Amino acid sequence: MSTTPTTTGPAPEATASAAEREAGLTTLLVFGAMTVGAVLQIWIPPGPTTLVAATGIASLVVLGLSFVVPGRLRSTLSGFRFVSSLLIALAFFAILGTLILQGKPAELYRAKYPAVAGLILALRFDDIFHGLPYAGLMALFGAGILASASLRWPVSARRAGFFIVHVGLLISGAGAAASSMLSVRGRVDLFAGGDVAHQVRVTRSGVPTGAREDLPFQLKLDQFDLVNYETEYRVGFYEKTRIVREGVAMDDYKLRTSFDPDLDWHRLPQGDRFRLKAIYPDFELVQRMSPAAAGPPAMLVTLAGRPHWLQPGESAMTPDGTLAVLFGEQRPAPAPGPSTSVLVSATEQQVVVHRADGDATLPLTGGLSLLGGAVRIDQLLAHSARGAVYQTRSSEWRNPAVVFETELNGRPAEQLATAAQPRGVFLRDGRAALVFEKREKEVKAFLSHVTAGQGPTMARAIISVNDPFEFGGWTLYQVNYNPEDPTYSGLEAVRDPGVLWVFVGFALICAGVFYMLYIEPRMRGGGIDRQAPSAPSAPAPS
Amino acid sequence: MLQYVLIEHPFFALTSLLYLASTIAYGVAWVSESRLPGRAGTSLMVAGVVLNTAVIAGRWLEAGRAPFKSLFESLVFFAFCIALLYVVFERLYKTRLFGVAAGLMTFGSMAYALAKWDAEIVKLPPALQSGWFVPHVMVYFVGYAAVAIATGVAVVQLLASRIPFVHRLTTMKAGSVLSGEPLDLDRIAYDAVRFGFVLLTIGLLVGSVWAKSAWGDFWVWDPKENWSLVTWLIYGAYLHLRKVRGWRGDRAAWLAIIGFAVVMFTYLGISILPTAEESAHVYTNT
Repeated sequence: MSTTPTTTGPAPEATASAAEREAGLTTLLVFGAMTVGAVLQIWIPPGPTTLVAATGIASLVVLGLSFVVPGRLRSTLSGFRFVSSLLIALAFFAILGTLILQGKPAELYRAKYPAVAGLILALRFDDIFHGLPYAGLMALFGAGILASASLRWPVSARRAGFFIVHVGLLISGAGAAASSMLSVRGRVDLFAGGDVAHQVRVTRSGVPTGAREDLPFQLKLDQFDLVNYETEYRVGFYEKTRIVREGVAMDDYKLRTSFDPDLDWHRLPQGDRFRLKAIYPDFELVQRMSPAAAGPPAMLVTLAGRPHWLQPGESAMTPDGTLAVLFGEQRPAPAPGPSTSVLVSATEQQVVVHRADGDATLPLTGGLSLLGGAVRIDQLLAHSARGAVYQTRSSEWRNPAVVFETELNGRPAEQLATAAQPRGVFLRDGRAALVFEKREKEVKAFLSHVTAGQGPTMARAIISVNDPFEFGGWTLYQVNYNPEDPTYSGLEAVRDPGVLWVFVGFALICAGVFYMLYIEPRMRGGGIDRQAPSAPSAPAPS
Repeated sequence: MLQYVLIEHPFFALTSLLYLASTIAYGVAWVSESRLPGRAGTSLMVAGVVLNTAVIAGRWLEAGRAPFKSLFESLVFFAFCIALLYVVFERLYKTRLFGVAAGLMTFGSMAYALAKWDAEIVKLPPALQSGWFVPHVMVYFVGYAAVAIATGVAVVQLLASRIPFVHRLTTMKAGSVLSGEPLDLDRIAYDAVRFGFVLLTIGLLVGSVWAKSAWGDFWVWDPKENWSLVTWLIYGAYLHLRKVRGWRGDRAAWLAIIGFAVVMFTYLGISILPTAEESAHVYTNT
């Protein structure tokens, strides 16, 4: 805690003795605080109140003793050996809290850490930052800061940085204590369309306690907006990787990179190349008939305005089922359903219009129009081959598809892929895949339009993540939504009287650190470190 | 992979190559009597910074947001911060002695980004759409870069007291030391840590303010928060020990190196912790 370099000291024997006493006292204080905390914890459960109350009481007791008990307690509390030991202990706890899951049910610890679960639960390491051993260390920390700051009084401009930092630490610590003791937080679940809340469901560490707290105002959710990012289409490149999911090792495809859907050649991470040979924003597969040297005959007939290519044995029918066209090598049999059948014979080159009251026969010619234009024979092919072509109905991205052209080890290949039914173009024996995929419904924002009313005072606001709304001493945060129910909004209501002091303390810490490291050396003319101090002989007093 | 990066991400590849080339040039400057290799090292490093800026700016435009979301993006930014800060330090202290260390770190950062290849542009979730996002990340990464440079200086400092060749480097004029004055390595390391510590302090507290505005809690004992606190305590101890106990030389250098090891764990190692899945700070794979 002290920042004064010690350049002189008492005789070596006295120095060694003082250093030993200080080391002994430091050990006693740090280990004593943790041990007393661990023992008391048998009867007193951890929690924010426990932490703050224990820290406050112990801090004042230690500080009081340091002023009334003769000896080196006060200088030890402000000495570097004590503070460094304390900070190492606090760092140890901070690290331990990242190695052990916090605030979980006892069963989880027994399942996850079977060998040490008993120890974790007995020492209450499941809630390490609210336990009494930690409170004991925080109490020493608070006492150390107060002792050190008091020894710095009165403050001079040349040494103000240290004092400002310590005042900042005290103020933010007091603010944090006030937050822990006095703050209330809870959930407010609302549905759009005028749902009104008067209470919050109180939570602790995100878990409902069952208690409710009245809001001093009523809160109405007028509207809830779930805003998604725009849908986009990408070519994803996936690689098979070994992953462990819920303790089971398995192979899964992991997205390595993705590309814009364009017509350029791209290099893939494993060395192959690909491009999109064609892009169809509104894909459709169209049947085409083309003339051939051999093969069955074919006929293009337009029925009720729609074209159909027919080969022998095939037919077409109007949507209402009243009129059919049938095509055959020989004259085909009439269809059983429709009242009128147009029977076309390729070999006989005849067209028979078949009705219940009789048949009418006509020669088969291209451009023949029948039944007042309802049927028109547009084209005849003596020999045909059937095929399909890809095309786009429009330029709008309604049903996009692409044709992949890949080059694997110099071997070209092509494959159609649609975004509606994404299937991978597999590469390297399935170890990698290209997928034309649609990306949608990624949440961009969720916004609650609310009205808060307290007597005659009314306020409207839009609450979103990172943009809370303050009213009537409470702050409302947007924390949840339900993708299945777009009317639901989950809000977190917090009343926290300590937070302002926490931030004031933060500002002082920042200012003090800057002042201490950059302003003070200039005031001393030439810098604090121009001359290395001699090895200190005693805890550096402030 | 190399072919893919060269063709699909040429600026990234070129930036990495510039950093590698500057490292080599700075290395040559160690053994050269001529100033040319040192100047080449500086020029290549500056060119790397310029191109790195273009990579960041290009990605910023392409993604429509600050490119600090994924591990890949942060590594590219980390390389930029180290390179930029190094160039400033080179001018400030008139030495090219630490060019190799800075070059290795910048190239190492880019090489790690290449090895972990996570270049997919992902959308920014609502929690990160905050005015605090950019200052929080920027302040932290400049702070990380400062302590990275301090670590480079500390390594040279340790080697200088053990290897005569390195010791000679700290006093020679041609090639590495431009001023001709023997370098006060301890002072340079201290200045870098001091600068980094101020930024780490601001970054930690800005993060806390952001957490409050996003979730209503200024401290949630998130693993990253805890490890950032540990980092802060270590560098706080470095400054205190130096000032109060007069720590200099090897002891201070080792503490700076330990501090940076913890910084690197805080940055890259959090994901291996059992509590990582509950952290809001872990870089997720796409």
